Amino acid sequence: MFLGNLASLRFFLPEFAVTATILLLVLLHVVTKSPRSAASGFLSLLGVGAAILLAGITPPGDGRSIFEGMVAHDGFAVFFKVLTALATLVVIFMSMDSKDMEGRSQAEYYIFLLSTLLGMFLLSSATDIVMLYLALELVSIPSYLLAGYLKGQERSTEAAMKYVVYGATASGVMIYGFSLLFGLTGSTQIAEIGRSLAAGKATLPMLLAAVMVAVGFGYKIAAVPFHMWSPDVYEGAPTPATAFFSVGPKAAGFAVLVRFYYTVFAAADPGTGLWRLTSAVDWPFLFAALSALTMTVGNLVAVQQNNVKRLLAYSSIAHAGYMLMGFVLLSPAGIQAILFYLVVYLFMNLGAFYVVVVVSNSARGEDISDFSGLGTRAPFAAVALAIFLFSLTGIPPFSGFIGKVYLFAEVIRREVYWLAVVAALNSVVSLYYYARIVRAMFLEEPKDASALLVPAVPRAMLVLLAAPTLILGVYWEPVARIANDSVRMLAF
Amino acid sequence: MAGFLATVDFSNPYFAVLVLLVIALAMSVGFVLLSQALGPKRYDRIKYGVYECGVDPVTPASVRVSVKFYLLAILFILFDLETAFLYPWAVLFRSLGLFGFIEMAIFVGILLVGLVYAWKKGALEWQ
Repeated sequence: MFLGNLASLRFFLPEFAVTATILLLVLLHVVTKSPRSAASGFLSLLGVGAAILLAGITPPGDGRSIFEGMVAHDGFAVFFKVLTALATLVVIFMSMDSKDMEGRSQAEYYIFLLSTLLGMFLLSSATDIVMLYLALELVSIPSYLLAGYLKGQERSTEAAMKYVVYGATASGVMIYGFSLLFGLTGSTQIAEIGRSLAAGKATLPMLLAAVMVAVGFGYKIAAVPFHMWSPDVYEGAPTPATAFFSVGPKAAGFAVLVRFYYTVFAAADPGTGLWRLTSAVDWPFLFAALSALTMTVGNLVAVQQNNVKRLLAYSSIAHAGYMLMGFVLLSPAGIQAILFYLVVYLFMNLGAFYVVVVVSNSARGEDISDFSGLGTRAPFAAVALAIFLFSLTGIPPFSGFIGKVYLFAEVIRREVYWLAVVAALNSVVSLYYYARIVRAMFLEEPKDASALLVPAVPRAMLVLLAAPTLILGVYWEPVARIANDSVRMLAF
Repeated sequence: MAGFLATVDFSNPYFAVLVLLVIALAMSVGFVLLSQALGPKRYDRIKYGVYECGVDPVTPASVRVSVKFYLLAILFILFDLETAFLYPWAVLFRSLGLFGFIEMAIFVGILLVGLVYAWKKGALEWQ
């Protein structure tokens, strides 16, 4: 049931809003003379806001795929569109008063940010491997530019270079996997590929393809052993861009991971309400091993970090590991747990990065020692950061705890006990390094005792990010229901 | 592991692809490692010199090319692709009708914004 091109247009409104904003930004950039114009920031806010609204009100399609089967229009895609656009919205606010951007052209920065957003929209809804590859590149290429945006700074340039080299390798391996799938089945439609593979018995090439595609997706979500780029990129990129990388492309990566593997290498079984494997390839085990490895490496290396941006980079690797737990269970509740965790993670991680931006605006650095005494210098920001960090650890009553409860509960229900044990041990390790920052903030003497002024916009944004972090820890039912509906629309 | 081997279908035509992949990997990595391990390491001035068929180099090997060529090449690809799209469109213009016309107008319009950007940024000037 494919919709033709013209009939598809009315389901594509969020993408149009973003594209139109990008074009307007380009024109605005060549018209305005001043290097830093607030207009481009407001225009981007408007465009992304419009995209969120349009994603919310776009009518649900009767067919599963639009544009002749290129992209899906379903609840799962809409969920990720709203999620990634929300992350972009917060990052735009963050960028507007970041000192990293001082004296640099803002319009071009927003063009890259919004191009990445467009790529994430397409990535979370692509149902054709060619479209999928194109969308992945549309996410990657502006990301390279964002990482290297601080032209003239050695670290930023190094970050962009590393990002390009790793990205090119990963997508090269991935497209080789795609070519194997196309060779096996003669189709580029993932649903069609899934049906053909289920009928055939080609175990070995399927295993090869599954592993090779995992390289590309693993790189996007920064899973170990494809994570090597992320700490350097996170440290070198402008801090708002780092915040963006740790949430947006990661969420889109999970969207495509779930959609691709659950369509190509598994089939929904309405009888049991679960998915079943369509081949002898035990990819869930492969990803379970990756999950355990990812969270362990992420957490253990985070312990040794003294730079908060690097620390949060490793912590975000560890969180990708937690979320992968839900991916390997072949149950709707597992996917629901990932979606719920992504929502929670969006608020707490962007919140933590927001405080880092505020602190580094005045301290010109983001080492843990720059945070010492923050409790007396800027009590408001310090309390907010403490909330975000404890939520990231997964301590009740914060929302991070509920996110972990959903993940752990489903892992235990599916009887993958070893993974639950590894994850529980990891959470203990993570408490140590998150608490180290909290300790510096409240128990150590500040290097410079002057009060740190938090302007009104960051203050308001911190409240807006801390509120869901607290509220979702007590009243999470609505978000859990939305996550559940989005998964149901994917298959059953 | 034995259980996994039992599931492998060796008669599959794609098995050859895997074998090729493994051999290619082993050879490329193997040769690098071998030359690393076995090769004598005598570094002197001649060894570090530029290889020019055994003759002493007369000029520096790295000729500086202006970065402007790069910009020009990018712009060329952009508008070359545009023409590549325009040709089949022009051939089928009558059968595509108004829909095709509007579609191409949007496509060219987007590229036009890119041209305005490149122009204003001074990418078309050679200075």
